[in-house]
Order: sequence, then structure tokens, then C-alpha cells
Amino acid sequence: MGEVDENLFTLLYLPKTGVQMSAEKEMLDFLGLDEKDELFQDIPDLIRTDLDIPKGVSEMEAMVEVKDKLEKNRDLNELTSFLGGGIYNHYVPAAVGEIIGKSEFYTSYTPYQAEISQGLLQALFEYQSLIAELTGLGAVNTSMYDYPTALAEAVLMAARISRKGNTFLLPENIHWEKDPVLENYLRGKDIEIEKVQFEESGKIDKEDLKSKLNEDVLGFYVETPNVFGVLEDDVEVFNDLKEDHDCVLVAGTDPMLLSLMRPPADWGADIVVGESQALGIPPSYGGPTVGIFASDEKYIRKMPGRIIGETEDSEGRRAYCMTLQTREQHIRRERATSNICTNQSLMALASAVYTYTKGGRGLEDLAKENYRKAHDLAERIDKIEGFEAPYFDSEFNKEFTVKTPEDSQKIFERCAKKDILPGIPLDKKRKFSSLPNMMLTAVTEMNTDEDIDSLVETLEEVVG
Amino acid sequence: MSSNYRQARYKEDLLIERADSREVEDNPLPKSISRDEAPKIPDLPKHEIVRYFNRLSQMNYGIDTGFYPLGSCTMKYNPKFTEKIGSHPKATEIHPYQPEEMVQGTLEIMYELQELLAELGGMQSVSLQPAAGAQGEITGLMIAHQYHKDNDDERNEVILPDTAHGTNPASVSMMGYDLVEIPSEDGCVDIDALEEAAGEDTAVFMITNPNTLGLFEKDACQISEIIHQNGGLLYYDGANLNAIMGKTDPGAMNFDIMHFNLHKTFSTPHGGGGPGSGPVGVTEELSSYLPIPIVEKDSEGYHLNYDLENSIGRVKGIYGNWLVLLKAYAYIKEKGKDGLEEATERAVLNSNYLRKKLEPHLDLPYRELRKHEFVLSGKKMKDKGLKTTDLAKRLLDYGFHAPTIYFPQLVDEALMIEPTETETKETLDRFAEAVASIMDEDEEVIGDAPHNTSVGRVDETKAVRDSVLSYKMREE
Repeated sequence: MGEVDENLFTLLYLPKTGVQMSAEKEMLDFLGLDEKDELFQDIPDLIRTDLDIPKGVSEMEAMVEVKDKLEKNRDLNELTSFLGGGIYNHYVPAAVGEIIGKSEFYTSYTPYQAEISQGLLQALFEYQSLIAELTGLGAVNTSMYDYPTALAEAVLMAARISRKGNTFLLPENIHWEKDPVLENYLRGKDIEIEKVQFEESGKIDKEDLKSKLNEDVLGFYVETPNVFGVLEDDVEVFNDLKEDHDCVLVAGTDPMLLSLMRPPADWGADIVVGESQALGIPPSYGGPTVGIFASDEKYIRKMPGRIIGETEDSEGRRAYCMTLQTREQHIRRERATSNICTNQSLMALASAVYTYTKGGRGLEDLAKENYRKAHDLAERIDKIEGFEAPYFDSEFNKEFTVKTPEDSQKIFERCAKKDILPGIPLDKKRKFSSLPNMMLTAVTEMNTDEDIDSLVETLEEVVG
Repeated sequence: MSSNYRQARYKEDLLIERADSREVEDNPLPKSISRDEAPKIPDLPKHEIVRYFNRLSQMNYGIDTGFYPLGSCTMKYNPKFTEKIGSHPKATEIHPYQPEEMVQGTLEIMYELQELLAELGGMQSVSLQPAAGAQGEITGLMIAHQYHKDNDDERNEVILPDTAHGTNPASVSMMGYDLVEIPSEDGCVDIDALEEAAGEDTAVFMITNPNTLGLFEKDACQISEIIHQNGGLLYYDGANLNAIMGKTDPGAMNFDIMHFNLHKTFSTPHGGGGPGSGPVGVTEELSSYLPIPIVEKDSEGYHLNYDLENSIGRVKGIYGNWLVLLKAYAYIKEKGKDGLEEATERAVLNSNYLRKKLEPHLDLPYRELRKHEFVLSGKKMKDKGLKTTDLAKRLLDYGFHAPTIYFPQLVDEALMIEPTETETKETLDRFAEAVASIMDEDEEVIGDAPHNTSVGRVDETKAVRDSVLSYKMREE
């Protein structure tokens, strides 16, 4: 072979789309056109525009430029972090990335054509099955965008189920990002939110809940663990209240902890929502994650989102497909149960692969390890003068509140200077201005004994 | 042409079936909330799990397998370098509540993406928070709702053309608005019908342009005039933006609010149904209504601004699907002005080329120049006693993903085809040959299709009737 004529490549291939340029003339001829711009003759001159962005660069240059920007970040490997607040830094086994990185999965879309999409359909059915095992509710969708939007959809679904009232009771002690999302989703709806207070223990105030459960209440929400990491320990009462008042019970929970904790279906939850990020998804600056959505089987036709069902093919072989599609926007349009179309499927797949990689025992052991580490750390922080941990004297899991001797934001900043992120300061931006000097601290298996020692030492140093 | 595609065909039982019942031992939780029985999750060797999911992947079809002309979904090639960037530890191993000074790289990229998208949409400001196109739509409606409310302007109607994507009417009713659907004339908005529908109750008019038939709404200027004269706002559904980049933009067409589908136009993977990303752009007048926080820049660097005067608040937790934003940003940087213009031109050329190639075989309603996609009618299938579904299933046997079918609903037996710019002429020719070949086949072969996929025709009716939505439900 002789010398390669470089011009050949620029002649043959469109520089950016990478497809053959030589064919373009033939295609234009076929259409009876001279040049490509004629394809846009139907756009009036009055509204024609020109793009004012920089010219493209090579893949290599783009790679370098974007990586250089990313290098300005300080990642969790360089820091000692006890940040949680809904996003947790658990170890993700390499197999998870390997499998969700298979391009047959990640370059496919919603499996409208079931026969050619069995792999993804079966994998998502595995996800639904795992969430069903953990929550105790058999009907699960393939995902919502995240925990706050899953809660918003759950409240809308509760209103579809309930035939009475227009008030929904929401505890005050939920994550600061959930209230504003819910408020927006309820904008045009005739549903009022009434807040339920929390006790000194950090648990929901059951007396307040009881007093507000009147005729007008269509449902209520209970979260365990809640935003303070606190676990409700008298859960039967929620079932009793639900039955006495004939309304819908929505429960929020942590899927990893459900390897140890009784499933919410046990205590009457009709809908369970949660966040599956802890199962196999890196913190990723908070997105993408997975909103968990599970429902009692009797309400499947009122559920939002994509659902995979088990069935058979023409020869009687087991097969899977999207089902109950008449609930969905692409069929039912304005009468759909939700507008959701694109969801977080690949992340649901990540959670399924993660859960299998851990195995039932592995997940349970991990939950126990996190529980133990968090309790050890709380005990040690509590011994530091001026600190109180956990601030709420209740059962907790891997996250707990710390009362700090002075402004928690200042303590946070001093620790951050030493590359230690001790927890999330609950300042007024984070809604709990009634709880000054408070911090939310989370522990995972990624926090070594040395990390814990250095956090304790640093907290001792930065005060007084 | 022969149907020589063969998909892997494994018989794989569910992994979850392999779990045994067992008790939870040494549960640290208080008795009242302790599980006695462990959830049924098997303990299997990693190798078995990897093999299982590997085999499942072989029973799945993605863009990397072959042509995927799913109309309205813009299934273009997903560059591998953006995937690599998306798995960089400096992108994945960062926590959303880290101090801003520790995530300056991320904030800079988000800020620049806001600016790039604003330019691409002809908008003033952009929020990156919405997680998908449909969430962008509902965010836009929330903004319109708040805007009208602040002007003491009670408006309860949203007008849509009958060609609208299903998410549009669903978003409208989710926001509690009354839907007013207007008919099309020759595939475009009927201006008389719009004039009649628009009035003091009109909060918003939503449309995608080019519309779902692939036709450019030539009366775009008149449409915006009518809506604005009546005090309504115009919403642009960005699903079809791939058809107009560098030629026109929603701002030039006088739209007030729009969303972008980063997983369509900017080539981030569709992930088997997500995650996507649906940033929302608005005019200057509406900029203070965007969700918080948005990323801003000052002399000290980049920061998250939570203080927007009229902000609707939040539509989602945290800041959006960051890793998707990052991939879209890298794509836009690499393509640049020339690359995006080229993408639009080639997408529209491919679409029109394939349209003309297919016209001898299937009916084309509304005979005009199309943009990035076109809609055919499969009504000829009825002569064979068959339906569009059968044609779609038979296409799978030829190794092609089927087009979107039965949408838009105003076309009988619709097939909505979007080839995208990353397909070669040869692929389009082969697809056209496959359609031609199928039209000559025996009814039985088509009606029983598919034959070459991992399973045969799936019984969707049984799936609804039995409603087995998890292994737990199968066992009950």
C-alpha cells in the first residue's frame, strides 16, 4: 500500500458526524436538490438565526479540555467525608459499572418492542422483584427521577386512591428538598398539605398526627429513617391510624436498611417511596439517582411510570414486556396517571446488579457494619466537650444528628479547611432554623477507623 | 434482501428465584422493627451474576447493535469519549453538599452549559434541574402558572395541537390546567382554530416545531402573535430540536419557555429508558422564575444562587442529572458550531432521503418537505389483513429496531421514522430494501413475526390480565 492521502478522509467523511460525504451528492440528486440548505426553505427568513458558539474541536482536545475542568474538583477520595443527607458514599463493586456500561443496555431506549428487548425487560423485572422483596409491596415501577419526585407522585396517587377529603398530612421532619418539590407538583391540584410536628425524640409527633387525622384527610406520610436519621420504633400505630381513618398510608424508607428492618408493607403502607442511590450508584453530585416507587397490588392501575410485567411469547416461553400501558401518557394522554416518560432505568439496573453482587447476606452485613460504625462514632462525638450525639435520643441507622457547641456552619468550614467534611450543617437554607447548631453526620463502610479518629480529633481541635 | 439477523436466545431463569428463606441473625435493631425473615435475595458468586447480565445484554438491542429509527426519540450515536468522561472519578465521586469551592470544575461546566443552551435555544436563562423532557414540560407550566399568578391573571387553559407528544397533554392535566386541543390542517396548526381557541383563559400554548409529522410549522410567527395578543405564553417542546440547530431557534420564533432533551439532541445515552435530562430555558422576563439553585459566576468563581426573586422553587432534589449534563457539555464542545449545524443538515437530509426511498412502498400523508423525521401510514398492511404492528415486528427480523408506531394518532396505522445524522446512506438503503422486501412477503411470515429475536411475539394482553409485576407477585 502506498502513501495515504490524508485529503481522502476529509473528502469522504463529514468531519463531525463521521458519515460518508461522498454519498451526499447522490442523496441530494435523488431528492432533486442542489444543496443542503434547500432542505430548510420552509423556515421563513424572518426567523433564521446563526449559532454563536465556538467551532468544534477534536475528540482529543475536547477530552483534555473537559478533564482539565474536572480536575478543579476535589473528589471524595481526597477528602474525609461524613456527608449524607440522602446521598451516601458507599463502595460500588466494579461489576456494576461493567454491566451498566454494556452498550446493548445503555444505548437502548424504553423497550417498546418487547421481542428485541428481553434482556433489559428481564433485568428491570429483577429490579422490581428486589424492591418488592425489600418493601413487601408486590407492584413496583421501573423508577421515578428521585426520592422527592417519587414522594410527589405518591401523594398524587394517594389522591387518586382516596375517595374522600383533600388534605394530605406531611411530617415536618423530612428532607428540605422534598417540601418545595411537592408544593410544585400540587400547584394545580385541589390537595392541601398540613404539617405534622415532630417530638423531642426526633420522631413524628403521634398525638399531633392523631389530632389532625380528620374527615378531610386523604392520606399521610411517615418516613423511617427520617431526615434526622431517626427510626420510628412503634410502627404498628401507623397501620391502626390508617385503618381507623380509612385513608392512604405512604411510607418513605431506605432500601439498604430494609435488609434488617421490617418492610413497610408489614405496618400498612399502601405506597412506599425511597432513594436507591445507596444501592450501586456513586454520589455523582446528586444525579442521576433512582426514585423507588412500590405500591400495594390492589392499586396497580393508579400507579405512575413504566412497569414491566411477566407473560409468554407465541410459543409459550416466559417473556417480559411493558404492561398496564393504558395508564401512561403515550396512550392515555391527558388522562394518564403521570406525565413521566424517560425515567432513570439504567440506574435501576445498577441497583439490581449491586444488590445481587452483594447478595442477601452481604447487604445485611453491610447494613450492620454501617449501623455499628455510626453508633461508635456517635458515642465518641458525644464524649467531646460541648457536643451531643445523637442529639435526638432515638434509634438510628447510619446517619445521626450532632449538636455542636457553636454555629455548625463555622465548625463545618474549619473542618473543611483540614479536608474533613464532618456532616451537613442544618442551617436556615436547610429549613431547620428551629434547631440551631445542628449537623447531620453519616457513616458508611468507606469511612475507615482512621477517618473516624481524625474526625473526632478535628472536632476537638476546632472548638474552643 | 433476506432477514438474516439472529438475536441471542438464552433461557435464563430469574436470579431472584434462587433465593432461599432464612432468618436474620443478630439484628441490631429494636425488636419492634426488626425483620425476622430476611428478604429473598440470593447469595451467588460474582461470576454467575456477571454471566447472567452479560447474556441478558445479548438479548437486547441498542444503537450500538444497529439502526434504531424510533421517531421523536433521536437515537443517534452516543460518543464513547463522553461516556469515558462521565465515569471520571472527579465527576462521579463528588457529593452534592460539598462546599462550592471544592466543586468549581463542576460548577464551571454547569455554568457554561447553561450559557451554551441559552444560545442554542435563543433564550436568556436556563435551569439544568429537570431530569427529563416531561419534567421540563411540567417545570415550564409551573413557571407559567407562577407568572400569571403574580400578575393576578387567572388563566386555566393550555392549548395544544392534535399532533402533540403524549407527555404534553399529560403535563397539562398534571398541573391542573384544562386542555384545549385544536385540530391540524394539512398537518400544521390550523390558524383559524387557534384564533378561535385563544382568549383570556389561555395560559400557555405548547408545541414542538418541527411538529411530530416532521413538518415545520410555517406559521410560527403568526402563532406566537395570536398567543401573545391574548396574554398567553408560548412553550416549545424541545424534543425535535435536532432539526433546526443553526437554522432557527425557539427564541427567534418568539417562544417564552422551552425545554431541551439532552439525551436526544445532545447525544447522551437513552439508558434503556433513562436517565435523561430536560433543562428549561426562558426569556429575560421569566428568568427570575426558574427553579433554584442556578449556577452563577462572579469574581471569586462559580456558585449556586438560591436567591431568585420569583423562583418557583424546586422540581427535583439536588441540582439535576449532573453526569448527563456533563456528557452533553462534552458533546457540544466537541461538535461546536460547525458540528451541530452539520448534524442538523445531515439529520434532515437523511430523513428526506429515506422518506423518498420509502414512498413507493408505504403511504405518505401530507406530501411536503420534512425535517428530521417523517410519518408514513401502514394502511397498505390492511390489504394483507395485517397491521402496522406486524410490519414493525417483521423489521426486527431484518436486524432493525422498529420505528415509533401508532403515533401521531391522526395518521392511520402510523410509522414515525427518525434516522438521525449518524447513519450512512448504505444503512438507509438497506432499511428501505427491507421494507420493500417485507411488502412482498407472505402474510403469514409477517403476521407471525418476529422469528429471529430472543422470543417470539409477546403476549401483552396476558401481561395485563395476569399482572405479574415482580417475582413476589408470581409466587402469590
